[in-house]
Amino acid sequence: MSLSDQDVIRFSRHIILPEVGGRGQKRLKEASVLVAGLGASGSAAALYLAAAGVGGLTLWDPGVVTPQDLQGAIAHDWSRIGLPRARSAAVPLRAIYPENRMDVLEREADLLGDLPAHNVVVLSAGNWAELGPAAVRGGASAVFCGAHGADGAVTVVTPGSPCLGCLGAEQASLLGLFPDHGGIAAAAGVVGVMAATEAIKLILGVGTPLAGRVMRYNGWDCRFEEASFGAREGCACWHG
Amino acid sequence: MLAGKSVLIVGAGGLGSPAAYQLAAAGVGRICLCDADLVDLSNLQRQILHFSPDVGQPKVMSGAAKLRALNPAVVVEEYRGRLTAANARELFAPYDVVLDCSDNFATRYLVNDACVLLGKPQVHGSIFQFDGQVTVFQPGAGPCYRCVYPQPPAPGSVPSCAMAGVIGVLPGLVGSVMAMEAVKLLTGQGAPLVGRLVIYNALDMEFAEVRIRHDPACPICGEAPSICELIDYEAFCGGDGL
Repeated sequence: MSLSDQDVIRFSRHIILPEVGGRGQKRLKEASVLVAGLGASGSAAALYLAAAGVGGLTLWDPGVVTPQDLQGAIAHDWSRIGLPRARSAAVPLRAIYPENRMDVLEREADLLGDLPAHNVVVLSAGNWAELGPAAVRGGASAVFCGAHGADGAVTVVTPGSPCLGCLGAEQASLLGLFPDHGGIAAAAGVVGVMAATEAIKLILGVGTPLAGRVMRYNGWDCRFEEASFGAREGCACWHG
Repeated sequence: MLAGKSVLIVGAGGLGSPAAYQLAAAGVGRICLCDADLVDLSNLQRQILHFSPDVGQPKVMSGAAKLRALNPAVVVEEYRGRLTAANARELFAPYDVVLDCSDNFATRYLVNDACVLLGKPQVHGSIFQFDGQVTVFQPGAGPCYRCVYPQPPAPGSVPSCAMAGVIGVLPGLVGSVMAMEAVKLLTGQGAPLVGRLVIYNALDMEFAEVRIRHDPACPICGEAPSICELIDYEAFCGGDGL
């Protein structure tokens, strides 16, 4: 899949970065990312993935847009209240980069089977204990993120890195790592953009992924805290 | 209550885009977007306020439309024009907080000086390739921009985003932190980044924080200020204009 002349202009600020180049931008265009959850942090992640030129975007969300959503989830607007969230988010995402291949999954049943078809899945909703393993066993990398109030957290699981099972549900909860739940837009922006950043780094194969690390953001104090975690002996790891 | 508060965002681009959306979503009563530029195709890689059909439109117009659609209760104002020594103080005066989302040094010093002279808190963010910085300059409570950077860099020594490139997600992160800081300043809740500079690297997803201090000898916010009026910032920065 080559870059068009318009792509070269659109993504010029990426292409001139040594870490990206034309080759990297092509990789982004050829990549597929599934975004599960178009709430507060999912919205931010999806907007930046579309802007970055991720060519394939699959959107899933079980809910519909409510007025409360609009306090946190910036991929929606007042005119789309009542629409399924995934369908609502598709509107700005298509408008940002009309050349992308967008797919909206209506049913949760479609989601499990579709995960491995993607390079990266960004999960801010859904049953993480089920979706994570399905993605990673299928060869995808998973980015987990969630914002709640003015706090949020992100981590990455790749085939071969410690998984959420290794971290444990209790520890994850203590670290503030769980799906989107009433996050305010600013904090969700921090967390969602971190998630998009990780997805882009994974696709490009640059930088140090957040695998084995949970990055936490506390908005009221502006604190960024990192907690490392390793493979847990006896974990029925997704990659095992 | 945020509905009774107002912000002015200098620059409706990479930093301004996420910040504007998030402050509108939060319900800030009045948001002014200040930008002289038109939307360019190369902006769309990171400036999420603008979409493909908006190319060629004034950024403030394109941006305002998205904010009004997200939250019709917000009064969105558009100032399409350059910020100058002649208009900055009058423009800033009615707003509670200013967000410096600009992309050039002359504007940064102008925004700083106008805010110091008016006693306005300002949220400051900057980006370069994969690195970002963010802090809050609160008059009377910490440093100002000149305390930290008394001299601008030599003209042409710091390339722009157009010349050096920038990873699109970077202003997304920095602008979001800026919005959260603005919320804290407006509500009086939480601990804003006064005297603290957060440094971020996207490649390694690492954050560091350094202490920055008010300089008693600062020419604008120090004990014996020599700058009491806005100056010629292009000349101060060496006519770089960038």
